[in-house]
Amino acid sequence: MIRPIFGQLSAVVAMTWLVSPAFAQDTQAIRKEIEALKQTYETRISELESRLKDVEEKKKAHSAETPAPASSGRSVFGNSFNPSIGVVLNGKASSFSRGTSEIAGFGVGEEGERGKEGLAIDESELNFSANVDDKFYGSLTAAIVREGGEDKIELEEAYIQTLPGTGLPTGSRIKAGRAFWTLGYLNEHHAHADDFADRPLPYRVYLNKAFNDDGIQLSYVLPTGFYSEIGGGAFRGDDFPAGGSVSGLGAWSAFARIGGDIGNSQSWRVGGYVLGSDANGRISNEDMVTFIGQSRLYAADLRYTWAPTGNPKQSEVILQGEYFHRDDDGTYEDADAGTGPVAFDDDSSGWYIQGVYKFAPIWRVGARYARMSTPGTPAGLVGSALDSGGHDPDTISVMGDWTNSEFGRIRLQYNREELSSGADDNQLLLQYIMSIGAHGAHAY
Amino acid sequence: MARKSSLIAMVLLGMAFASPAFAKIRIFACEPEWAALAREVGGNRVEAFSATHKQQDPHHIRAKPSLIASMRHADLLFCSGAGLEVGWLPILLRQAAPADLQPGQPGHFMAADYVSVLEKPAIVDRSLGDIHPEGNPHVHLDARNIVPLAQELSRRLAIVDPPNAQVYAEQTDAFVRRWSHKLAGWEARAAKLEGMPLIVHHKSWAYLVHWLGLKQVATLEPRPGIQPTPGHLNELLKISRTQPVKAILRTPYDPSEASGWLSSKTGIPAITLPYTVEKGAATGALQALFEETIALLEKANKADHAGQ
Repeated sequence: MIRPIFGQLSAVVAMTWLVSPAFAQDTQAIRKEIEALKQTYETRISELESRLKDVEEKKKAHSAETPAPASSGRSVFGNSFNPSIGVVLNGKASSFSRGTSEIAGFGVGEEGERGKEGLAIDESELNFSANVDDKFYGSLTAAIVREGGEDKIELEEAYIQTLPGTGLPTGSRIKAGRAFWTLGYLNEHHAHADDFADRPLPYRVYLNKAFNDDGIQLSYVLPTGFYSEIGGGAFRGDDFPAGGSVSGLGAWSAFARIGGDIGNSQSWRVGGYVLGSDANGRISNEDMVTFIGQSRLYAADLRYTWAPTGNPKQSEVILQGEYFHRDDDGTYEDADAGTGPVAFDDDSSGWYIQGVYKFAPIWRVGARYARMSTPGTPAGLVGSALDSGGHDPDTISVMGDWTNSEFGRIRLQYNREELSSGADDNQLLLQYIMSIGAHGAHAY
Repeated sequence: MARKSSLIAMVLLGMAFASPAFAKIRIFACEPEWAALAREVGGNRVEAFSATHKQQDPHHIRAKPSLIASMRHADLLFCSGAGLEVGWLPILLRQAAPADLQPGQPGHFMAADYVSVLEKPAIVDRSLGDIHPEGNPHVHLDARNIVPLAQELSRRLAIVDPPNAQVYAEQTDAFVRRWSHKLAGWEARAAKLEGMPLIVHHKSWAYLVHWLGLKQVATLEPRPGIQPTPGHLNELLKISRTQPVKAILRTPYDPSEASGWLSSKTGIPAITLPYTVEKGAATGALQALFEETIALLEKANKADHAGQ
């Protein structure tokens, strides 16, 4: 800064010198003037120099807010089009009072089982998303999980979605690929956004944690003054509660939901959903139990949020509940118990309700109760994994979490599960969920 | 035949219900200050709705159902931008916004794109807190910014609603004239506030501080978006004992504990400045916002508190 100014000054001084010699009688006066100018500028320059020193010291202190030098690195303009990248890191320490955990009366998939005891990382999620062009949006989420002693990549989501520029009627959109489809409240959300360290019972039993089959879904926000949306989809039929798709088109869904506000600080949403599936082999219980037949899952959800001061960042109450009803018509076989295929036509249900209270910007507490109503046991399945022994599994959970910033959360949770008759399991879970990279937006 | 005509009647009725004959231009404003400005520029030709209210931190709301519905019906979107609404606006835009409201369209108006943004960080690292790579988004509190924003809004309204272009232009001219007059008065008063040392809760006041030549000594949050810690507050206690601080500022949505604590220890007044206008504020509210803000600062600046 100082050097160029000084250079300019001397040039100006020299110019003044050159243009004025004609009037000799003024030389003396001019010299004096220049002397005075020099004096002024020297004082000014030393002043500037000391200011520069100050600024440089401040710069050291607040390096984050000062512009980086232009030549700080290679500029790769191709990177400007990189998608938003987000990583979610997730780890748990769990302690269980029982060695085993079986949910009586149901065929339960791998993801629906109790987690690992001791120290373990949960799903580490990688997300890439961006607009493809003016008409499409694309997103990919891969989870790296440890299964059977190996790190595997599970493709959770890989979908494209139409943007409003596509020319479809306002409010409608089509999503295709693999996604956490619209079904109940939690299914659409990634596990890292959950309020508890594990999914509630009906999700573990009916959806093997979440339904993310390959497929396509159309949804339409109706032109009503309040929020109302309808939609439906068609899916491959490979993911729980379907499975073993033969035709490549083995499941369908439909949904409707409405929502709105009450005053300035309360919001709500309720929905009804149905998922029909043609299971050519819904495999569960470590490949031992197979269901073949028609399965229909009905769901209803409610979510209500209330910010007592109007500002949810400060404090908030969230109430959420979901009810599921499943109708299975086909055959069940438990290879472990050697039952052979047994005709089965019955229904079952499950629900949970939970409340979370954020009492300070960084502190929240919550409680959850979940219960399953088991179907009847046909004679051929007595003594198998599908024999509930007349017991309805239930769990009660309480949790407290600490949120340092929008991106980091640590949670302690206690569960008391009685999933089979007399099999009390006291669980303590300590979990961290941290996200780095893109500032992801979360839906209601 | 009768059945057919009743069907037509029903369809017509439905259409009338969906779009009243003399439809006003619906403006979806993310914050109440932009809804208020939209009412000044648009007058009775527009209907401005604010997604957030004065008690809410606009950075921390959800893409709730009612907003999806409002977005679906909107003709123009008017927000702060610079990442302030990044946690919820993208979802609303993808879910239900008309094509005309998508980024790059005249119906997509982000204030931060039309004013000079302060505090653009060169190093973006979350260990520094929730900083926005785009710079500080709280642009409305520099009253000089209101003028170019009003003019840009008028230009965009003219594109969205050509028949009323003349009306918007006239209303904007009148508003800018009134505003410039007010601005001169505020700036004259601000001369006495120059260098006023302040502690603020969050960096929500950067533009006000910049405009009025105030001096921000420290923030209660150790890092943007990180709640005040006892250690950091003790640090501030030391600072406020060694150098003069005239007031501790917060918005109506910042928690009061930290500023209350520091105020009780030092005697420095903790004041809640309005920060924005009420959700459904009538015209004139924006002027009142700045009047009140300056009056509160003047009062705090004159007072000689016990701690000094």
